Amino acid sequence: MRATSLALKDLLQIARDWKSALFLVVMPILFTFFFGLVLQPDSQAEADARLPVGIVGREAGGQLGAHLERLLAASEVIRPVPLSEAEADEAEALVDGGELAAAIAVPEGFSQAVLSGQSPRFTVIADPMTTTGQAASQGIETVISRLLGAVQTARISADEFAAAQGFETEGARQAYLMRGLDQAVAAWEEPPLTVRQEQAVVSGEPGESEVPGGFAQSSPGMIVQFAIFGLITSAMILVLERQAGALKRILTTPTSRAAVIGGHVLAMFLVVFAQVLLLVLVGQLLFGVDYMRAPLATLLMATILAFWAASLGLFIGSISKSQEQVITLSLIAMFLFAALGGAWFPLEVAGEAFATVGHIMPTAWAMDGFQNIVVRGLGLASVLLPAGILLAYGLVFFGLAVWQFGFETR
Amino acid sequence: MKALDIAMRDLLHTLRTPFTLIMMFGAPLLIAGLLFFAFGSMTGGGEDLDLQTIQVTVANLDRAEVQGGGFAAGELLIEFLRSDDLSDLLAVEIVDDEATARANVAGQRAHVAVIIPGGLSAVATTPGQEATVVLYPDPTLTIAPGIVQDLVSQFIDGFAGAKITAEITGQQFEARGVPAGPALLQGAATQYAGWLETTGHHQEGADPLVDLRPPATEGEPAEQDAGIIAGIMGGMIVFFTFFVGAMGAESIVREEEEGTLPRLFTTPTPRTSILAGKFTAILLALVVQIAVLLVASSLIFGITWGRRPTVLLVSVALTVAAAGFGIFVMSFVQSTRQTGPVLGSVLTLTGMLGGLFTQGIPNIPELFNVVNLVVPQGWAMRAWDLSLAGAGPAGVLLPVAALLGMGLLFFAVGALLFRRRFA
Repeated sequence: MRATSLALKDLLQIARDWKSALFLVVMPILFTFFFGLVLQPDSQAEADARLPVGIVGREAGGQLGAHLERLLAASEVIRPVPLSEAEADEAEALVDGGELAAAIAVPEGFSQAVLSGQSPRFTVIADPMTTTGQAASQGIETVISRLLGAVQTARISADEFAAAQGFETEGARQAYLMRGLDQAVAAWEEPPLTVRQEQAVVSGEPGESEVPGGFAQSSPGMIVQFAIFGLITSAMILVLERQAGALKRILTTPTSRAAVIGGHVLAMFLVVFAQVLLLVLVGQLLFGVDYMRAPLATLLMATILAFWAASLGLFIGSISKSQEQVITLSLIAMFLFAALGGAWFPLEVAGEAFATVGHIMPTAWAMDGFQNIVVRGLGLASVLLPAGILLAYGLVFFGLAVWQFGFETR
Repeated sequence: MKALDIAMRDLLHTLRTPFTLIMMFGAPLLIAGLLFFAFGSMTGGGEDLDLQTIQVTVANLDRAEVQGGGFAAGELLIEFLRSDDLSDLLAVEIVDDEATARANVAGQRAHVAVIIPGGLSAVATTPGQEATVVLYPDPTLTIAPGIVQDLVSQFIDGFAGAKITAEITGQQFEARGVPAGPALLQGAATQYAGWLETTGHHQEGADPLVDLRPPATEGEPAEQDAGIIAGIMGGMIVFFTFFVGAMGAESIVREEEEGTLPRLFTTPTPRTSILAGKFTAILLALVVQIAVLLVASSLIFGITWGRRPTVLLVSVALTVAAAGFGIFVMSFVQSTRQTGPVLGSVLTLTGMLGGLFTQGIPNIPELFNVVNLVVPQGWAMRAWDLSLAGAGPAGVLLPVAALLGMGLLFFAVGALLFRRRFA
């Protein structure tokens, strides 16, 4: 009962401080929105999801120009955007500004070169450090490769016919070749063998609810990050009580040490738990992140995350001697755990060593648990392992906090 | 002289406080170091990426043809994915059926499942038929599925090309009333496969199809490849200089609370000198911080910040802006208990708006580049970007002027509020 009273006292203190709402609710929502927009794939913004690629310099009178344009138009990855001469000068700026995913410069005389068996190089302007630039570049390469393949098909067919029947004139051979090329390009417009990437759905009903882009990363990421950041206010109470001598005074009463620690950790747990639930609700209603598809799994993750964060908060509050130390340690904990654990960006984009180290972090397991629900579309069973590991981390921090707490107040 | 004495005393106090030292030097280098570690291989300007090995699980439903001992497209695809060239990139596991492959992805035992359809070999050699290889990626991933799709598509295009060649040859013969037997069509397909093998068109090959080059950056032409880490470190320098600027201004609030400032006001030293001393201390602390961070980041991360006069100009403007902003923010704070939350929230929000936390993230919407300039942090970042791109002093005049203007305006308003408070 004394622990509950202490917890209620802490909660009242937090609730009376307007700044708590800022840390616990307003900032995480703003950050979720901001990073969600930043991480949102470009393709979701347009009806034609293909990447726009500017075409510079179509050779006049070239025999393959039209075929190249047909194959570019048929690409599933890129959408050709013919550029006028004036626009061509701006191609680099358009790619740099993100209006085009890439630009391709068709080399002068490429038709003649290709038809004579050479492979002229096309200049592609794209940012190789971005997934958009890489995908556009790969899409362009596929188109060029298919055009060269179509020419080769026409050439093989013509050679076989020449061997089997022979052409009366060179003109007849050329006509046969160009007809074959036309047919081959038509075949490549709808290739008989394809590769399709199946999009995961989270509703259980294919096609009903697709993964909600950047918010599926930013919503759980900011929940995890601000569970740590929000501890500043809670841990501060502990430090202020220690500085004011209130902790020592409480110990002179019949209140046990366990009740004091239990009261504080209970308050921290309840604060983070309420914060996580609120942010889950905001994620669900404002950002379309479907936490409620597996409510029990979400509840379990929220509970364990709150316990872990509360244990960390208790630990920070236990070892800090001043308010500045609370802020410093909370910020360092937030930066370390959030950045390394994949709360800011998916660990996939980091190097192998970073991803391996990152996955040791408790935050990485928290992210795994939430993403199993909202991105992978899995249920309660899928969060048992992440929740178990997070719980173990929570127990370790709790143990350290109790040990340090007792030492401080002796 | 009095102002200088106050400045030196405050500066010494700042440099003796472990918390301030951590926020001045430790935190920015630590965070940038973390991100450097994360994206380390991407900062060298064109070196190979340190990609994680992609776990691929393959369900080959095209097994019947293997038992027949003939052409087996599924087996050839597996052989390709398991080739020595790809052994560092892919770790391939073969499973018996599609359900197991999908379960491996769902259970995070694989990044991507490749499901080779039954009868792929027959479709590859029979006119008029179609088939699709299905990739089932872990939906949290984007890079790994893209790489696997590129590789599989490249290989499948080879089969498709051979099939198209056989079909077109047959159609053209038929159109001219010349019979084309299976052997002839098979021969045409084989010729195509041979041509493909000889030319081996891909970017890594000896004869790449495209010359890929990044666009020149906006403004002055890039003289150096600054890399992602330079942008990230620039963001950290800006964020933590504004933090230290505000922390320095906090001493006014703290001394007021502790009673030392009111006592100082009772001495003959003019209030203007006292506030000027405090402001000078902040400026000096910021100069030390920026200098140390620039040198340390150059040594640790190999960043070349730009031409010396430009770097100096940007540093001065950043110092004035951060100090002025700190005075302005702290003029609204009534007690040191409010400092942490106000600092945390205001600086994080303005830093976010200024684009300090999104350095290095690709595909940022263009709108953010405009929104950034609402806050001084955005102008500071713009100035560093230009300096990193090799701009001369003239090239950074606009952001420098904006920073100086904003800094002085913030200082004037903040000082006015403090004067009223202490009147």
